[in-house]
Amino acid sequence: MADDAAAEVFVPERTSIPSGDDSVWADVSPLLESACKDLRDGELIHGDNFNLFAAMSALEIMDPKMDSGIVCKYYSIDEAIENGAAPVPISINKTVDVQCTIDIMDHLLACEATWHKGHSLAQTVFSCIYLLRPDRTSSHALLHSYCRVIRATCKAVISVVSDARTHEEDDLFTMAYGLPLDGDGDEKCLSLLNAVEETISRQLRACKAPSSRRRVLEDMEPLQTNLDLEEGYCKALLCRLRFRKHFYHVLTSMRRPQGRGLELARKHIATCISELDCIYRSSDFLRSSACGTSEDGIENRTTASGCQPIGFDASLNCRLSAPTPPRAIKILSWKKAIEYFVKLLHDLDIICSYSLDPSLEGVLQFVVQFQKSQPDLVARAHLQLLLVQDGKLYGRDSMFTVITRAAVLPEVAKNHDVQKNEYFVQLGQLVINMLKILCTNAAWQRRKLGKMLQDWRVIYVQLEIAFRKEFGEVSSIPEDENFCVKIFQHILLWVEEQTYWIASRFLILGFELELYSPSEYCMVYWYIYVVLIKLSEKTHLKMAAKNDTGKRKGKKKRDSPKDVAREYRIPPAVLFLQCQICLAEGLTMMLAALRNEHMILQSRNPFNTEQERFIQHFELLQKACIPDHVSFHSFRESTTYARLSTLVMYNYFKDAQRIAKEAKSSFSNDPDKLAELRKIEQVAEHNSIALNVISRVGALDPTLKASFEFSHHPYFATAVVKRS
Amino acid sequence: MERKNEEEETETGKSELDASQIEYVSYGGEHHLPLVMSLVDQELSEPYSIFTYRYFVYLWPQLSFLAFHNGKCVGTVVCKMGQHRNTFRGYIAMLVVIKPYRGKGIATELVTRSIKVMMESGCEEVTLEAEVTNKGALALYGRLGFIRAKRLFRYYLNGVDAFRLKLLFPCPELYPSLPMIANKDESHSHNDHIPHEECCELHHHL
Repeated sequence: MADDAAAEVFVPERTSIPSGDDSVWADVSPLLESACKDLRDGELIHGDNFNLFAAMSALEIMDPKMDSGIVCKYYSIDEAIENGAAPVPISINKTVDVQCTIDIMDHLLACEATWHKGHSLAQTVFSCIYLLRPDRTSSHALLHSYCRVIRATCKAVISVVSDARTHEEDDLFTMAYGLPLDGDGDEKCLSLLNAVEETISRQLRACKAPSSRRRVLEDMEPLQTNLDLEEGYCKALLCRLRFRKHFYHVLTSMRRPQGRGLELARKHIATCISELDCIYRSSDFLRSSACGTSEDGIENRTTASGCQPIGFDASLNCRLSAPTPPRAIKILSWKKAIEYFVKLLHDLDIICSYSLDPSLEGVLQFVVQFQKSQPDLVARAHLQLLLVQDGKLYGRDSMFTVITRAAVLPEVAKNHDVQKNEYFVQLGQLVINMLKILCTNAAWQRRKLGKMLQDWRVIYVQLEIAFRKEFGEVSSIPEDENFCVKIFQHILLWVEEQTYWIASRFLILGFELELYSPSEYCMVYWYIYVVLIKLSEKTHLKMAAKNDTGKRKGKKKRDSPKDVAREYRIPPAVLFLQCQICLAEGLTMMLAALRNEHMILQSRNPFNTEQERFIQHFELLQKACIPDHVSFHSFRESTTYARLSTLVMYNYFKDAQRIAKEAKSSFSNDPDKLAELRKIEQVAEHNSIALNVISRVGALDPTLKASFEFSHHPYFATAVVKRS
Repeated sequence: MERKNEEEETETGKSELDASQIEYVSYGGEHHLPLVMSLVDQELSEPYSIFTYRYFVYLWPQLSFLAFHNGKCVGTVVCKMGQHRNTFRGYIAMLVVIKPYRGKGIATELVTRSIKVMMESGCEEVTLEAEVTNKGALALYGRLGFIRAKRLFRYYLNGVDAFRLKLLFPCPELYPSLPMIANKDESHSHNDHIPHEECCELHHHL
């Protein structure tokens, strides 16, 4: 259509834009005009590459739901300012000016929290017109200092998140095109903030001083004109300014290399939390002294006073800058924003109080535990940057050192030349990737871990081939004589162990993300069971290898019967896994038996069978042969003949209980593991009872139904038996 | 990108409508487009441009269906299919049943018809996204054999996560006797007898 039109239209050359070497500028308006005559409503001219994305990106102009332009109140920041949308000073009445400044501060806090929670910077913090024109506020020291520290803080947070690259699919977070993040002099934001804080402290002291002393301070101008409110406003401002100052300090000290600023950061975190408490408590005063605010909907307000803040227009940026969807977003309430910051600070405090455990196992346990409280993006980004700096753990230990330690090799191994082998270098990179992935949100984490399994499998195979190439058949080499062989053997074993650990994490995260439906629990527990078996096997072998080393060293010195006895004990780490294995196996068999005896409803699907659902859920594990020789058929074989009567005779839950009890004594110094074992014991006990009830009463009472819930453990289900 | 507040509806008190009174029609041309558009627009706050609708119904008219009751359009399904990486997959883009008609198996019937065409056209799997809070849709697709393959963090602009749901068709050579192929009619009536919450949902972000 466009081609036809072009033939008839003379395209005059425009002189206003000079032509380049390869280009000639032409005015296409006549062409378009004539093409429009051919088009009917709803038609369009498009190229071959017009796809769904293009179709969905099309806007219907003047439709307020699509056309962000017509939602705007102002066409430009200047127009908004000319119309008095962001006056400086906010009011000539100094009391009103202070009130309004506090409202701006509060609304900015709400905007900042909303941004951290995943909305764009342009639609949240930078909906503040004062922030968009850094120089305009310079005559208003209070507002100016606050705006500066906000811009500097945003910049620091963006840098943490973009350096960590944990922003996952939330790339909105770091988008700041066109926003004035670098106000002139923002880097000195703290000195101005300190000066303003100092002035207000003096004003506070002045108004609290007895009248006799007040004369001395008379040259001090009060903050505002209503002396009855002076103390309240000074205090409300001080806690807000101090929070900003210490929060900025938290962010900068946490970024110091090798975790050197963590202790200092903790002090600032503590101050931040107490200042937030003061901010929270200032709301009674601010509400009572603000005029014209009603109590309705106070929960949803974005300021402590309940007043609408002056100087914000979220629609301005829709037209002017960084990507903002047309749809208006809901800013978190001021109360929710404070709650968000308290949680963030607690999460950061957990990171700062971490002991920088040199063992990888300790790191993994810490990260998994940390993730249980579902920390938000900013906290997770900080953790990631702490763990991996310059390709080293905490910026201190090289990955090869970390790996040799994890593979229970003697300390000297970390300097061995074999670390230059390309596969060991790649393995180090895999460990780094794994640590980074473990810091991401659960949904993203699971997907990345699933994909990563393949890489771990491949590196295992490559290392094994490299090992065989270099040393031929293992049996032909006297082990003690070749340290390099030992390094290979230990690391190969550890790679397997780590792969199964990732696989178990992948499976378990599915529960947290609610990816499994109750009809799939049986196959999921079965898979967890087979993976944990392999994991415990590898862990056991690794421990044995360690003891081997220890034994040989100690042989000459001491050979007491006590040592021999210790050797035969199952290591606690293995016991810890064994009770989980029993629980997973017990749940698999119980679910299978219930199904086989028609005590849980099995619906048939019209389009596929259990086999397809098995293939889909475990596709990534199966592709990576984790574990080897495991398939839907092996699942069917091990569950088809499950019956309640046999389960009662051989009760897996009782084993789980017994082993958990035994393991507890070894973990008296590890509260996290102890808590986990206690939960396992509880689930095992409940399920053991449920199993007995069902097998005794079930046959006589057909209304008896079993269902499963997660009341005692996040992923080991507890059976609930009820009459339906 | 888009969310709907789902109200759980039960079959109670709605039995006056006979399933046989609902007429299912394959997308028949431009005259159906306003019906599809108004139904989807009505249920969802975020609009699609007309090009989005046309993209689907022009390229895959055989995958779109409308449900009528006494001449009134009460539900619709819009889909596509194509090569995705190494698989040929179907995608359910929009499924809507207006409120008074939910809970009667209409959505199940609409989506079942689309899935059948996809299967017959050689699709290996079918996917879609649904909000984690949309219990009705999740139950419906669960009954059809979809699994929750992934959770998509804050998939929708309102901050709600989505599930990517997937239905894998059995490999014909591995599985000669399919319940669906073996007895199509039985599975239909079977669906209609299960009391379930109908849902309407637009699966977005394509």
